[in-house]
Amino acid sequence: MGGKLGLRLTGWVLGTLTLVFLAYQWLPIFTLALLSFSGPTGGTTFPMNGTSFHWYEELWRASVMNDFKPPLLRSTLLAIACSATTIVLSVMAAQAMRGRFRGNGWFFYLMLLGLMAPGILVGFGFAIMMRLLGVELSWDTTTFLVQVSWTLPFGFLTMLAVFNRFDARIEEAALTLGASRLTAFRRITLPLVLPGVIGAGLFGFSLSYDEYARSMFTTGPELTLPLAVMAQLDRQLTPEIYAVGTATTFFSLIAITLFTVAFWAMRRSTAVRRS
Amino acid sequence: MTVDALAASPPAKAGTAQGPARAQLDLELRNIRKRYGSFTAVDDVSLKVGKGQFVCLLGPSGCGKTTTLRCIAGLEEPDDGGILIGGKEVTQDPPWKRDIAMMFQDFALFPHMTVARQVGFGLEMLQRPKVEIAQRVQQILTSFEIAALADRKPASLSGGQRQRVALARAMITEPRILLLDEPIGALDYSLRETVMLELKLLQQRTGISFIWVTHDQNEAFSLGDLVVVMNHARIEQQGAPEDILLRPATAFVAGFVQGNNVFRGRMGEVLADAFCIETGTGTFLAPRALGAPPVPPGTEVSFSVRAEQITDQLSDRHVNRLTATCTAVEYFGSVRRHILERSDGEVLKYDQFGAHAARIVPGQRVTLGWAIESTVLHGRAGA
Amino acid sequence: MSTIRPRSAAGYWLALPAAAWMLAVVVVPIVLLVWVSFWGGRAFSTASPLTFDNYARFFANQTYLKLVLGTIVHTATLMVLTGVLGYCIAYFLVMKVRSPGWRLALFLAFIIPFWTSTLIRAIAWVPFLGVNGVINQTLMFAGATQSPIEAFLYSHTGITMAQVSLYTMMAAGPVVYMLNSIPPQLREAAMTLKAPPFVVFRRIVFPLTLPGVVIGQVLVFLNVMSDFATVATIGGNKHALLSNLVLLFYEGSQIRAASVVAVLLMLCMLAGVVVALRVVDIRRLGA
Repeated sequence: MGGKLGLRLTGWVLGTLTLVFLAYQWLPIFTLALLSFSGPTGGTTFPMNGTSFHWYEELWRASVMNDFKPPLLRSTLLAIACSATTIVLSVMAAQAMRGRFRGNGWFFYLMLLGLMAPGILVGFGFAIMMRLLGVELSWDTTTFLVQVSWTLPFGFLTMLAVFNRFDARIEEAALTLGASRLTAFRRITLPLVLPGVIGAGLFGFSLSYDEYARSMFTTGPELTLPLAVMAQLDRQLTPEIYAVGTATTFFSLIAITLFTVAFWAMRRSTAVRRS
Repeated sequence: MTVDALAASPPAKAGTAQGPARAQLDLELRNIRKRYGSFTAVDDVSLKVGKGQFVCLLGPSGCGKTTTLRCIAGLEEPDDGGILIGGKEVTQDPPWKRDIAMMFQDFALFPHMTVARQVGFGLEMLQRPKVEIAQRVQQILTSFEIAALADRKPASLSGGQRQRVALARAMITEPRILLLDEPIGALDYSLRETVMLELKLLQQRTGISFIWVTHDQNEAFSLGDLVVVMNHARIEQQGAPEDILLRPATAFVAGFVQGNNVFRGRMGEVLADAFCIETGTGTFLAPRALGAPPVPPGTEVSFSVRAEQITDQLSDRHVNRLTATCTAVEYFGSVRRHILERSDGEVLKYDQFGAHAARIVPGQRVTLGWAIESTVLHGRAGA
Repeated sequence: MSTIRPRSAAGYWLALPAAAWMLAVVVVPIVLLVWVSFWGGRAFSTASPLTFDNYARFFANQTYLKLVLGTIVHTATLMVLTGVLGYCIAYFLVMKVRSPGWRLALFLAFIIPFWTSTLIRAIAWVPFLGVNGVINQTLMFAGATQSPIEAFLYSHTGITMAQVSLYTMMAAGPVVYMLNSIPPQLREAAMTLKAPPFVVFRRIVFPLTLPGVVIGQVLVFLNVMSDFATVATIGGNKHALLSNLVLLFYEGSQIRAASVVAVLLMLCMLAGVVVALRVVDIRRLGA
């Protein structure tokens, strides 16, 4: 009996710990969101001095100095570009791994290196390389190149995991029915691994959208959103930053939800067609 | 595999008996019941297992046999009822306090432990001295002919080797009861028969009670001292193998066990020594035991006749007769099985022993019959 | 047989773009860093003579050496904190939560912050930690302290608190994966072999999740070592780790010094990863 009581007690202790940690993780985010609605005279902490959309209006009316709208546009475009590139390259790379070409072990570790190498080193090194080559830094060229080196390994690992679980006999069936390898891949493999492909794309979008360290070294005068936020934080801490934080968090969650919903809708439509 | 090592060492629990009840029964289940939400997995199951018995729980998948086994192990707690192991109430005890060991369907070998470590695990848990553990492990590995594998890990073992390791791991603590969940289901077909024989011998020499869960009636009937047939969470019938083979108590058991022809009908006239049963294909006679109570006419009843009890060489004894059309003939070594279609569209099986020339060919219409005592009436009346 | 012929040239062509990209953007720049760290002279020129002077200067400075040590201690602290906390949470989520609804809810509650910006989550700690921050207000309201404690914002404690909330799920994730891949029969088998719950955990569950623990620790290690943003946000200018030093030198146009620190940072990380890879084979996890 003692054993069972112990088990229940462990469950309670661990459960409490988990909930406390959840609160610990969420409370700052909630506080940030709450404080972004504080009154015009509200500071960066409690009391809020009333509730208002003042700081969001500030954000909208912003001057050239602290206008977050262009950085938001840049970050979004960059994230979409990274996501698309990641999808194409990671599907190719994972498919290549299935062919077990000679040197695939090295290739795997090369991709893993991109995952492990910290942004500060990659960004710094890349900036030096660009300086040696005399290339002008810009968010839509150099930053894009660096960010894909960060999003690609995630997409690659996602696709590897998907292909690992993929039943290759389905492809064999297509091949024995006379499909060429390319046709079988396009008509059979790709539709079946599509959820994984979308996952890789989502990873790419989110990682690029939030990336700070790599962008910091490789972006020119036109900042991406995280850089703009950090710059503003350096200048002055106002509830406006909370408003940006809340808005951008909200925005990225909406984007992810849209992706997911679109994906569900798509899968349902293909399911209907199949039946 | 030799079993001397285990047979030689005396059962660990000797001398701690508490009373006569304990010495008589290894296991007793008293009306246990287990529900998952609205689904009843085990319903009112009672069972008594005497010392050193080989019990087979037989039934189709989802019948509750595995849940029953898990209740005995303590891995599930029954909602109702009691479990006694060796006369001791253990219903509330966790698995690690019960005098059992279990062999799992896929063997559940610990992937990170060597064979020797794995097999010694149970003794380690009993906090036996290291020297003794090493010695006992060596002994049991040798007797199971897997001593050469002592330093290997499970991933590098074949199916048959894994089975032996799992068995050694379970047997080393000499539990009162060994629970086996489809223990040879994961083995190659060719291995099964040998392993079955070895396990039967092992059980007989060690005197450990085996509770063996299977859906394969060949396993159950060739191994079990006691066969328990389960269906829909309940025990349909329990008894010696020949009991269940020759005298199925319910239509389910008759249908589940190979070689039975099941008939459904209504009770007709009740004679002094026989019941008349009216079916769609005619009226048949079933024996009425002396003093058996009459069943009201019109009651729905079922009965069965074994395929080998039917004959086409009719004599006066074969009072139950029916005509059917042969659709196929199958040969199984010493048996020639005829598949026939009754006039009501049901299938009738008729087995003919010996390598005689075929007397019936597909398409032929024949009249078959069986003696009154070959009819097995199901339910209370026939029991 | 599959849609790609084993060991065919097609594999090379498919892998080429990704490989080229990673080589050009990750490998070459890192090699460049090492090279630049040995540059002598003052000009930014490939013709610079090679010398050990940059390293000698770095190691001659007590402050920098203390910073290296401080970074290692800080990272180790976080590994222990997130490791223990993450394991407990992972164990609870996988082993104790039975209802699918709760599972999904808790899963979402943990995963959603992961999809949001680390930077924003770090900033979210600022209003919490300040002298007039939520923690101090709560403490004073509860009567635990008379005057606000200044030990949170711009302090080591504050940085640790924020980073624990940022990185615990990195430690927990791989453990969740490994716990999920343990067949329940293994624990049941151990129980029927007379092992009480804690022994089942120590002898069966923990050893089988060890690869997950190591992977999680590597992730936390790498992230904390290079997380200059949280340190800068919460620590202000008062606190720095090795990665902040890179930034500091870079902004001061001391490219050589920045490279030296970057190389040292890289060596620390490399050592950590090599140690971890000796314990587990990461490649097996995908299977």
